Amino acid sequence: MEALEHFLPQVWFVILGLFLFLYVTLDGFDLGVGILSLTASNEESRSILMTSLGNIWDANETWLVLVGGTLFGAFPLAYATVLHALYIPVSLMVGGLILRAIAFEFRENSVRSKQLWNIAFGAGSFMAALGQGFAVGTVFEGITVDTAGHFVGGVWDWLSWKSVLVALTLIQGYVLIGSTYLVMKTTGALQQTHYKTAKLAAVTTFLGAVFITVSTPVLYEQMRDRMFDPPLFYFFAAIPLLGSLFVALLLQSLGKEQERMPFVWTVLIFLLSFLGLGLIIFPYIIPPQVTIYQAAASPSALVFMIIFIGFLIPIMLFYNIYNYVVFRGKITQAHESD
Amino acid sequence: MDFLSDTVVLSRMQFALTAIFHMLWPVLSTGMAIYLVVVEGLWLKTRNRDYYLHARFWAKLYVLNFGIGVASGLPMEFQFGTNWAPFSEAVGDFFGSILGFEGAMAFMLEAGFLGIMLFGWDRVPPLVHWLATIMVAFGANLSTFWILTANSWLQTPAGGEFIGGKFIVSDYFQAILNPFMLNSFLHMFFATLETSLFVIGGISAWYILNHRHPDFFGRSLKVVLAVAFVVAPLQIFIGHLSAEQVYHYQPSKLAAMEAQWDTIPAGSSPAWSLVALPNDQKERNEWEVKVPGMLSYLLELKPTLSEPVQGLNEWEPQDRPHMVGLIYYSFRIMSGIGVFLAGLMGFSLWRWLRGKLTAETIVDQKLMLWGWLLAAPMGYVAVECGWIVRCVGRQPWTVYGELRTADMATPLPAPEVLTSLVGFAGMYSLLFVGALYFGSRIIRKGPNLELPLPQVIGKDSLEVEPMQHQPDQRPIETQQ
Repeated sequence: MEALEHFLPQVWFVILGLFLFLYVTLDGFDLGVGILSLTASNEESRSILMTSLGNIWDANETWLVLVGGTLFGAFPLAYATVLHALYIPVSLMVGGLILRAIAFEFRENSVRSKQLWNIAFGAGSFMAALGQGFAVGTVFEGITVDTAGHFVGGVWDWLSWKSVLVALTLIQGYVLIGSTYLVMKTTGALQQTHYKTAKLAAVTTFLGAVFITVSTPVLYEQMRDRMFDPPLFYFFAAIPLLGSLFVALLLQSLGKEQERMPFVWTVLIFLLSFLGLGLIIFPYIIPPQVTIYQAAASPSALVFMIIFIGFLIPIMLFYNIYNYVVFRGKITQAHESD
Repeated sequence: MDFLSDTVVLSRMQFALTAIFHMLWPVLSTGMAIYLVVVEGLWLKTRNRDYYLHARFWAKLYVLNFGIGVASGLPMEFQFGTNWAPFSEAVGDFFGSILGFEGAMAFMLEAGFLGIMLFGWDRVPPLVHWLATIMVAFGANLSTFWILTANSWLQTPAGGEFIGGKFIVSDYFQAILNPFMLNSFLHMFFATLETSLFVIGGISAWYILNHRHPDFFGRSLKVVLAVAFVVAPLQIFIGHLSAEQVYHYQPSKLAAMEAQWDTIPAGSSPAWSLVALPNDQKERNEWEVKVPGMLSYLLELKPTLSEPVQGLNEWEPQDRPHMVGLIYYSFRIMSGIGVFLAGLMGFSLWRWLRGKLTAETIVDQKLMLWGWLLAAPMGYVAVECGWIVRCVGRQPWTVYGELRTADMATPLPAPEVLTSLVGFAGMYSLLFVGALYFGSRIIRKGPNLELPLPQVIGKDSLEVEPMQHQPDQRPIETQQ
């Protein structure tokens, strides 16, 4: 029974990690394209950008709904405490996502107000990314809780120079993955533009990541102990090394103007950063005090959810991949309006 | 303006605001998805191009609704954590799991196949496309199922007990199959379908009244009518069953629905209140119009009550719902609309059977068409009223009889909640105005009747070309 009480929260930590990774990658390029649309030179290229997302943005955003729902079910205490602590960033994110979604629908049907919805789309994407960045930064830095695990900090606790840095880095990361997605989906001048934005974003993301990696053990004693403790030390040493290699390979493939590989390298960089973040946080779900075991729902609830959601994971992946397969290939023109 | 500094009141207002606005969109996308499955199926079966064009035209309204529905629904999920953290912690074991199921089973299915349904016409074979449409409709209705399961459980918690303020589930299936679940789901399922049918029918009627493609829209009106024939009466029946359940399981809500302040003993045949002016402070109705002997028929279909109807005064003021007038009138408006829609359906069916709905005669059915136009927004009103009865009537409880709403709010500083409330109010107003504006633009523009059939494999089987007449080449003598 004790083994089960350890095992089940770990399984759910991994499932949540999977959902969150899928969300960050898929809605990441989605939001990145949104932010990039602010820089699009004309209406035609903006239309192509938005067409490249038309069939998938709903599905991509659904992974966030799934993260919310499963966090609520599997770790109710974490859901309650983290969202309480992140009231403002979460409201910012939700507001941004709303703005973005309505801009998508309204732009399609508008004639004179297109420009307004274009800006709303880009601004909404930026707001959502910013809110998420602050959330990641805060979880990373720690949330003040009492012995019962309830949030006892202030409303502005999430704001610090550190969380600003994490937020900016995340936004850069989204711009990077959005650029490499567009390199894959577009041709001609538009593709050339995004080779450039990808290179720029690769460098800025890398700088942000380096700074976060270096400052974390310097600033936080607890994390320092953890990171220099073998065998984890080898992981924490390998991740930045491997990450730097991937960034070099990414820049090389961008230089060679390859079409698909930049996206693949970027996904690998995302995966690596994600693993690093997961390893630093585990076994906490509300760092630095509450572990996944303390925050977990009852074992029966966790088993019940695995039965209902676990077997759906391959099915969900299957039809999401099928969706991408159906719409594979370049976007050369916007959807024809009928 | 004391409430502006009361976090609980502000959080309640925020939840009510987002829920009331959000409900407007999924109610149409859920029901309309079923309509889209029907017309696309009719197209595949009959090969009649009109059905294909219907599928394409109504899908435009569908996607506008769906997009705004997603946008307006996001705050709902996160609010449980941000504004109702103690609640989330107390019931996460069950309530949270159910929201997780909704995401994984239902919403993902709908969103995952939506792209193919909207943009995949020329990319997948027709049957695969229809399957995608079916999956979208199935996913949307599965969402209704899980959301209503979660909400019903708040009304009639089952399958475990509260230990130390936390709900521990002992039997998940018992919790899912809580007493309210089945009727609540069916009531909402038919509500989304009925609302959508009367919206589609109302818009069709508008086109016919304006002499725009009367034949084309006569067809959608008839599809609607054929389905409404089953749905409208059934909804009244399920509504009755739901009210009967409230009578048994939530007596304080029933008392508010009927503005009944004093208990009526079993064995009597009390009058039913038709219109009244309830006064929460004085704990009685200022004045009232009653129908004698009617209440026992409405509740039990019997001339006398077999159980007492408890009055609001049975409970201390802090243990019973406030805003009795709101609950009382919401209930009457909802029921009244249900009866009106069924009547309109009956009247229209009668005209159809009399042969008055043909391409030539349908434009002359002015009274009927105006009735449909009037009915288009009514489903929404009924749904909103129904949810008000359901959730305001449940107060002061979040989980009926177990957890008080006042204890479940996150202890946030009021100014932050007020700021987010104002922000949401602004944003949802924008959503509402935009949806009306762009929705009406789609309607004014009308369907594209020139749209070519999808260019995919198996195209020949979709279009039945008229047979080419081959002139007979044989000599005249041999021709017969």
